[in-house]
Formats: sequence, C-alpha cells, structure tokens
Amino acid sequence: MLNIDNINLYINDKVLFEGLNLKINAGEIHVLMGKNGVGKSSIAKAILGDETYKVDGHIYYNDIDITNLNIYERSKLGIYIVNQSPMEIEGVTNAEMLRTTLSDKTNEPINILKFNKELESICASLELDKRFIHQDINVGCSGGEKKKIELMHMWMLKPSFIILDEIDSGLDVDAIKIVANSLKKYYEEYKPSILIITHSNTLIDTFDDYYVHLLDNKKILLEGNKELAKEILSKGYKNLIKDEHLL
Amino acid sequence: MNKILVSDIIELCNNEYVINVKSNDVIFNVEGNVKVYLIDELINNLDINLKDNSKLDVYFCNKNVNNNVVINIKQNNNSEINLNLSIISNAKREIIVNNNIYGNNNKSMISSRIISNKELIKNIINVYVEKDTIDNIALEDLKGITNGGLIQIEPNITCLSNEVSANHLTTIGNFSKEAINYLMSKGLKELEAKKLILQGFIYSNQSDYIKNMGGD
Repeated sequence: MLNIDNINLYINDKVLFEGLNLKINAGEIHVLMGKNGVGKSSIAKAILGDETYKVDGHIYYNDIDITNLNIYERSKLGIYIVNQSPMEIEGVTNAEMLRTTLSDKTNEPINILKFNKELESICASLELDKRFIHQDINVGCSGGEKKKIELMHMWMLKPSFIILDEIDSGLDVDAIKIVANSLKKYYEEYKPSILIITHSNTLIDTFDDYYVHLLDNKKILLEGNKELAKEILSKGYKNLIKDEHLL
Repeated sequence: MNKILVSDIIELCNNEYVINVKSNDVIFNVEGNVKVYLIDELINNLDINLKDNSKLDVYFCNKNVNNNVVINIKQNNNSEINLNLSIISNAKREIIVNNNIYGNNNKSMISSRIISNKELIKNIINVYVEKDTIDNIALEDLKGITNGGLIQIEPNITCLSNEVSANHLTTIGNFSKEAINYLMSKGLKELEAKKLILQGFIYSNQSDYIKNMGGD
C-alpha cells in the first residue's frame, strides 16, 4: 500500500530524516512515536504532499510513484489526514465542501436527500450536533468538535489510507472514547491502512494489533509491536533510548 | 411605522426590500426597522438618511463593480445602521462610505469584503461623530483579499466626543496556503479550493437571501 523508499526529507534545506524507509501494507496499523520536534508530523505532511517538504527518493502508494503528485492528486488516491489542529475555513460549510468533493469524485450530481441523511447519521454516531453540517468548517469549534468534524469528513470521503496526527491530544475522556470507537468501526468496515502519531496509548489500545516505530536522530531507531509502545510509555523516550544504547 | 422611501421601489415583504435601481443616484429615507438588499446594482451615489428610532440593515453585494461607489449616511438619535458591503472588481475602483453621526445613542456597523482581481480597489470608510454627543458606537470590520490585484483600506473614525465606543478591524491578505492545502487534502482541486474560499469570503458578511440569490 504505502512504501516510503529510502528517502531523505528536508524542510528549507534542513535535513529532517536520512534514509527513511517505512512500508505499510493494506489494512495495517502503524504508530509513529518519538519526542516532540523529532519530525513525526513532517513525515505525515510529506506523505500528504505538502510542498513545504522536499523529498529525495520515492514514495509509492499502491505501486504508484506519488513523490511528485500534489495534495489533491494524493487525496484522490485515498490518502487522508486528520491534523492535530484542524484548519478553520471561514465561509465554507462542511456540506458545501463535501458536496463539491464528492461530485468531483463521482462525476455525478449529489443526491441531496441521501447526502444529508448520511451526514446526519454520521453526526449522530459521533455525538456531534447536526447543525455543524451547515456551519463553516471548524470555525468557532472546540478541539473535540474539530476532531469529530474531521471524522465526519472521513466517513463521507471513505479514504483507504488514514493519517491520524495526534488526534487524541486535547480530547476529554468521553470524546476520546467516541473518536476511538468511530475509528475502530471505520477500520472494521473498510479495512484502511492507518498511520497514527501519538504520545499515549488511549487511542492505539482500541486496536488489537499494530506496528510501532520509534523516531529520533533523523531516523527510525527502533521498531516493534504493541509491546514496544508499552515500553516507550512506561520508560519514556529518553530512558528507553539510553537503556537500549540506541544512540 | 416601517418604511423606506426611494426613487425606485421595488419588492417588499415584512420590511425587507429588494431594490432594483434605475438611476445611479439613490436616496434612502428610512423610518422604523428596515432591511435592504442591493444585488449587482449600478449605484454611484447612495444617500441614507436614518430618522430617529430607526434601524437599517443594508446588504450590498456586487460581484463586478463597474463604477466608483459613494455612500453617505446620516444618523441623528437612537438609530442603528448595519452596512454590509461585498465587492469584487477587475478594474480600478473607489468604494467610499461617509457616516455622519450628529446625535446621541446611535450605532454604526460597517463591514466590507473586497476582492481585487487585477487593479487597485480603494475602500475608504469615514465615520464622524459630532461633539457633545453621548452613547454612540462606531464599528468597522473591513477585509480584503488580493486575488491578483491590489487593495487599499482606510478605516477612519473621527470622534469629537469623549463618550463614543469605537473600534475597527482591518485585514488585507492573499489566499491562505494552509487553507488551500486543507481543502485539497479533502479532494478539491486547487482552483475549486480557491473558488470556495473566495465565495465564502465575499458572502461572509451577507444574509442568506443574498447567498441564495448570488450563485457562484
């Protein structure tokens, strides 16, 4: 599915990663962990196609070289991101954006009745007031509401590769439960590949199995499964790296 | 009594008027509580006289302004005006609003959204509050997007009285790259993303009526 093949990643000529390899197969869940500023979100943005980041090497998605594709083209292939601080777009409603995107995707006019019904049902499952459907994207919303709105978009757009960049940060206990349940349900229904960036186990523990990659010093230092996540969270980044003599 | 007297009327429902202007110079004499919609009208000069205890909401939207526009407002006592301007132009234009507040307890809220596609658009808002008046409020919310053109906004508030609450917000910017990236990540082409952002911006101070009538 996604293959980051030996890339060097730069921002403004500053090297963020050297010789980075990451392979995520269809239906797999991978978790990126590492201390703040290590470049986890930069990897997410490079996969998404943010032009701020320069990639030397190749990124493949379903065997298509996407290295030079723009954000729209990657999105059309099914790549989707939920950022830690979703943008507020004044004057553009959720419904308007989704209608435009879906009609572009299907090349057919949208059945408004069906569209509204589907959105209302998604809102109900996310415990999100349906008034948000016709409100400007994320404008004036709380952190929790924004993350739920991003999931509402996800359910409508049905991506096959989802990047969750600290979706669990800043959520209260109830909200995180709703978000986690929604993601699990989506995973069970559509079996997407998921790349999760997180500092906690609250979201990842929702899933039965996943791969973990610990990042530091411009590379992946350690890889493992959910046991590694437990170790990282119990020892902390600094101590684990010291104990394992990784640097 | 709620009424508006203009040279060319128009259409009316519950004190809401859609004005189809046949001349370039228009005078509104407003009494009571009135809403006015002006869509793509070729107005050069608009004079608004608010009688005491009156309120006027103006929604003025022109997506291809072919002329300069001057709006002169007079407020005396206990009146309120909410003037919402949305202007797009490819040519060099001046959009000037002068509001003179002569009495007490008036509110003036002037909001503009300007998109310049090619040349310079000047948006000059002058609010003047007479001396020895009390309890007046003067607010300005003026924003522009330079979509290939230039914008100059002058927010002027002159208060000769100490008892005025006055505030202005002015921003001029280009497209937000982050906003475009965000919409593209949802599956919108760059051009579509820009179109939605511009449409959202130009209607952000307008009523639902204008949004529904305005189209793309």
